[in-house]
Amino acid sequence: MGYHEEQKSQVVVCVKKEILQIDDLVIGYHSRGLAKEAKKHGRKNRSKVVAEKLFLNLAEGELVCLLGPNGSGKSTLMRTIAGVQKPICGHVMLDGKRLEKLSAKEVARHLSIVLTDRVMTGNLSVYALVTLGRYPYTGWMGNLSPDDEAIVRDAIETTGTRRFAHRHISDLSDGERQKVMIARALAQDTPVILLDEPTAHLDLPNRIEVVRLLKQLAREQSKSIVMSTHELDLALQAADRIWLMSPAGGEDDNKGIEMISGMPEELILDGRLEKAFKRNGFEFDRTSGSFRIHNQRNGSIGLVGEGMLAYWTKRALERVGYRVIRDASLPFRIEVSDEKGSGLWRCFDEECRGATEIRDICGVINYVKTKEKKPEIL
Amino acid sequence: MISQSVDKTGGSAHPWPLLFPRSSLIALLFIFVILFFLLDLVLGSVKIPPLSVLSIVLGNGSGNEAWDKIVTYIRIPKAVTAVIAGAALAVSGLQMQTLFRNPLAGPSVLGISAGASLGVAMVMLASGAAANSFAVRQLGLGGSWLIVVASTLGAAFILLVVLAIAVRIKDNIVLLIVGIMVGNITISIISIWQYFSEPEEIQDYLIWTFGSLGGVLGSQLTVLAIVVALGLVISFAASKSLNVMLLGENYARSLGMSTLYVRVTVIAATSLLAGSVTGFCGPIGFIGIAVPHLTRSMLNTSDHRFLMPSSCLVGAILMLGCDIIAQMPGSQTTLPINAVTALIGSPVVIWVIMKNRNLKSSFA
Repeated sequence: MGYHEEQKSQVVVCVKKEILQIDDLVIGYHSRGLAKEAKKHGRKNRSKVVAEKLFLNLAEGELVCLLGPNGSGKSTLMRTIAGVQKPICGHVMLDGKRLEKLSAKEVARHLSIVLTDRVMTGNLSVYALVTLGRYPYTGWMGNLSPDDEAIVRDAIETTGTRRFAHRHISDLSDGERQKVMIARALAQDTPVILLDEPTAHLDLPNRIEVVRLLKQLAREQSKSIVMSTHELDLALQAADRIWLMSPAGGEDDNKGIEMISGMPEELILDGRLEKAFKRNGFEFDRTSGSFRIHNQRNGSIGLVGEGMLAYWTKRALERVGYRVIRDASLPFRIEVSDEKGSGLWRCFDEECRGATEIRDICGVINYVKTKEKKPEIL
Repeated sequence: MISQSVDKTGGSAHPWPLLFPRSSLIALLFIFVILFFLLDLVLGSVKIPPLSVLSIVLGNGSGNEAWDKIVTYIRIPKAVTAVIAGAALAVSGLQMQTLFRNPLAGPSVLGISAGASLGVAMVMLASGAAANSFAVRQLGLGGSWLIVVASTLGAAFILLVVLAIAVRIKDNIVLLIVGIMVGNITISIISIWQYFSEPEEIQDYLIWTFGSLGGVLGSQLTVLAIVVALGLVISFAASKSLNVMLLGENYARSLGMSTLYVRVTVIAATSLLAGSVTGFCGPIGFIGIAVPHLTRSMLNTSDHRFLMPSSCLVGAILMLGCDIIAQMPGSQTTLPINAVTALIGSPVVIWVIMKNRNLKSSFA
């Protein structure tokens, strides 16, 4: 009894309402095909666990980005939350109720999805397509009440799709189509929206527009949004919270998936993000919030200087394969200074006593490249 | 074109598009059904003046007893059968195209007609073994029920097999090929059966396969009408769910729709519609494929709430038209209806494909 009371008081204290709670969830597949394998390993369970020990929650008005490499179980988790796939163990609590206890229609009123599936609705206008989102609310013939119609129109206005509301979905660009599918989910009028890689196949302006739209929905309409994505940059900038599924044991699959959850800045500052990526052989740079994709095969180089010039010089040097150290005592170093609005790079190496003065960044990189062949630089 | 550009600039930036196609179009279709119906009554091997036909239809008689009998007992049942068969096949084709998400789905392609044929062959050919075909013909109402039940069950059986495979295979093209193969297997079973049957029984069966709208009289017509009406009611009730099916099964499920329920409903309706029509009129091809395409491009909508009734009307018009052509007005011979529908239906399908170029994105 005491325990329950304590929990209750915690909920009251919470400012934001938790709309989705996941406690000790195990996700994976139940399969007949796996029965043999299970027998072989002497397990009773005939299921394949994708990820376990999942503790997650989603608050009202929160945008969560679900990250993870291919095959880490992002889609499985999404499907489990959507109620399409049954969890192996544990529960998904939707609005305080167990997901599996809700009827399909009740789930449809709590949770809508945007998939990567290409819809082929043929001669259906965008407007008619968005009205299909009202399915869980309309009668047996699906006729719209004035309220339904207002919700549909509002969804179209919010997503900025009114311009092409009369067109067929097959005539739209990928970006426009994605916004239409978001409008359809909005018309479903659910507190939770799940999106499966909504920014895949989109160019940068469309990607930004879609993420901006999702942020706006979270903020203005208090929607709780979970989107899976591969784009870390975008996720770190936009998400209120990150769910990162990372293989716990590096290349060895069998150690399972570890779930890391938290505010993006929190994960960066306490090094959890870096650690998760490092296990998989990726260097995450905590200061810049991005991956190091370059091999640092050419050794170290010193860099002295401040501001934009120094930052982009560093980027250029890293690209051609140097580890850049902010250290003026290295013999092989470059000093950057701003002179009358244009840059001046003074390059030092071990042989020449004096500095070589270069006035453009291409020259700097060419200079560094000529030094590259000499073994003493390494 | 001009009115469209005025619309775009006038008032608020973009007017909301209409959800309903113009009702005048549907009214026009209805007028055409009546027109073709009357035309079908007037044209035939025996020349009867149109005014006399009209007066017979209105119940006044024409004064010529032979004409009265021809119109009342031959032409009216045949035209009514054409309307029923056209509507039934069109609606079953429409549902299958949406369910399988395939533009080429239809009762004659996915083996439903073959399944119905199997049912009919079982009754016609096996009756020879059990008693004799004469006995079946003497069954009257019982016999017609027997044929309808057999053909509907046969159709349902094949559709279930195809659907069971559909659960495992997500690829529509593969599914289509599987459906055609299942149909082929069914047809080969029938031919083996024929090989071991008596010549007279085979003849009965062969004539049935040519298709005919003329053989459905009196109580049989009532049976057909009841079964088709039932199938249509189930189909119309499935309109809302079929609309959602256009988004694909995953979206449909996320909207709280039970895909199993829709599948079962569509199988039941399609089996009733295509099965009963095939049982009485023989395997009539192409109406089921062509009419939904024709209707969709005419109404420029994929909303089943409008496609269902309009497909009924277009199906009835096309079927009446085929029957008129089959009469070969002015001659004493009639062509088998099955040949005429294929003759008319195939160019329609080709035309639709040419017009849309990309059938995949515009079919359903």
